[in-house]
Amino acid sequence: MGKSVEVRGARGGIKRPHFWVEPYLFLLPSLLVFGMFLYYPFFRTIFLSLFLTNKTGQAKIFVAFTEKDNYLVLFQSKSFWASVGVTFRFVFAVAFGGLVIGLTSSLLTEKKYLGSNFTAAVYAMPIAIASAAASMTFKMVLHPTNGLLNNLLGTQINFTGDKRYALASVIGLTIWLTSGINYIFISAGLRNVPAELYDSAAVDGAGYWRRVWSVTIPSISPTLFFQIIINTIGAFQSFSQIKLLTEGGPGDSTNVMVWSIYMDAFRNFRFGAAAARSVILFLIVLVITIIQFRFEKRGVNY
Amino acid sequence: MRIHTVQRRRLQNLGRFVLNIPLMLVILIPLLYTFSISVMPPDEIYGNHLIPTSVKFTNYVQAFTNPYYNFPRMILNSFIVATTVMLGQMVTCSLAAFAFSFLEFRGKRLLFLAVLATMMVPGEVTIIANYLTMMRWGWLDSYRALTFPFLTSAMGVFLLRQYYLTFAKELYEAAKLDGCSNLRFLGSIVVPLSRPALGALGAYVFLNTWNQYMWPLLVTNSRTYRTVQIGISMLYDIDAVSLGLMMAGVVIVIVPSLSIFVFMNKQLINGLMSGAVKG
Repeated sequence: MGKSVEVRGARGGIKRPHFWVEPYLFLLPSLLVFGMFLYYPFFRTIFLSLFLTNKTGQAKIFVAFTEKDNYLVLFQSKSFWASVGVTFRFVFAVAFGGLVIGLTSSLLTEKKYLGSNFTAAVYAMPIAIASAAASMTFKMVLHPTNGLLNNLLGTQINFTGDKRYALASVIGLTIWLTSGINYIFISAGLRNVPAELYDSAAVDGAGYWRRVWSVTIPSISPTLFFQIIINTIGAFQSFSQIKLLTEGGPGDSTNVMVWSIYMDAFRNFRFGAAAARSVILFLIVLVITIIQFRFEKRGVNY
Repeated sequence: MRIHTVQRRRLQNLGRFVLNIPLMLVILIPLLYTFSISVMPPDEIYGNHLIPTSVKFTNYVQAFTNPYYNFPRMILNSFIVATTVMLGQMVTCSLAAFAFSFLEFRGKRLLFLAVLATMMVPGEVTIIANYLTMMRWGWLDSYRALTFPFLTSAMGVFLLRQYYLTFAKELYEAAKLDGCSNLRFLGSIVVPLSRPALGALGAYVFLNTWNQYMWPLLVTNSRTYRTVQIGISMLYDIDAVSLGLMMAGVVIVIVPSLSIFVFMNKQLINGLMSGAVKG
């Protein structure tokens, strides 16, 4: 405590008058980029969401609070709610599926053994693979006539083109993609569980599963919670998988929100409606982030 | 009793490895299968072989030499873009992090919050407005469009600032007394000392930029500026029958990503963890 006061005092000693511009020059490059490509487009998106636009995305007719209000039109459209429903199912499955894979792989590599470094590298590896590249890989695995999965099952199912399997296909791919980050964070969490906890559980004669349930999982629950949030926010942003595997279809079955933004803007040229969808996406992610902060403040310990 | 435990441990170790095999296969098989298809002649792909009877690199040669795909150009584009963004972030984030950790000025807290707040906005939310900006400026189909929006990041500023805060303030005081300018202090003392943090940032940013898909898809139209992630999906669109060619493209694209994962594993994971913690 004393040290930090000292440091602050030392810093105070070199304080310059307020017209000293040098610090702002150091910040200038970053602030310019943030201003032009983050703050400006953010407010521009909110602005656009209140208008009907022309084909080049210029705001033409102010429609907020009229019957043509972009938000109102969205809320009244069946397709929008279908998209919201699909998004939530997708996000839920990915968030928990990723967690289950991450937890399983972490528990499996908890103790060292010959080759455990290799295993750990394999589990972490998907962090390096691009979603586009993985999508092309899965396109081949799921290929209706020549793909691996149909070969193994002896079937000819069109996984990405069939309403029953399309969403499950992109969920599977996305879980595969996020398994690496889940593994890295959860196994890091496992390493931080104090050994004494296990020792006392062992003394009490608790078996393996009992220990996992009543020692491991409660001890790493902050990590698990954090990981669910990361998975959720990541899943809301998924695009490449949808674009490359299903194009939102068949029907609306894989029409997640980012895909619907893309469709509105770049296929239908309805930039106002796309902007309104973007704002809604932002609000959802914001709420999740706030929930995360709330829980972190409530004494979650890393 | 003691020997018994040792034996049981050994058995447990073996069991652990065996238990890991199914899940490892789930992760590895898609990639191994991709490689397998990429070296297969077409008749074996359509004969539903899983493993080629002989390894052929025809697909790779075709991917590289077919002038219509212009694949080498796309690889070059991705390298140019990823390197520019990486170096750009190293510079801009170092400068900003330096101001936030060593300098005192009005509005410091507010500006730092303004930087951190950008992490709350997913890129997909601003992507339309950014696209329209590029269109208005006539930047579509250019390296500018592919690089400029990513030349800084809150994660980079935050990561480097955290690192700089661990430096002794006496170092800065002493340099100042010797008449060392801030920029020189940053360049000749702070940057060399913060190599681990810069490495983490660099590996993470290069990989992320190399792996980008949505933004390059929107802002490039010509084969001259397409990046390689778009390229591999084009291999499919152009010629859906040449599955082998498509898989060769995927392997080519994954090699740099995997190289970073293997050779800069520690830096990458450090970067990833600091990136995810606040974003």
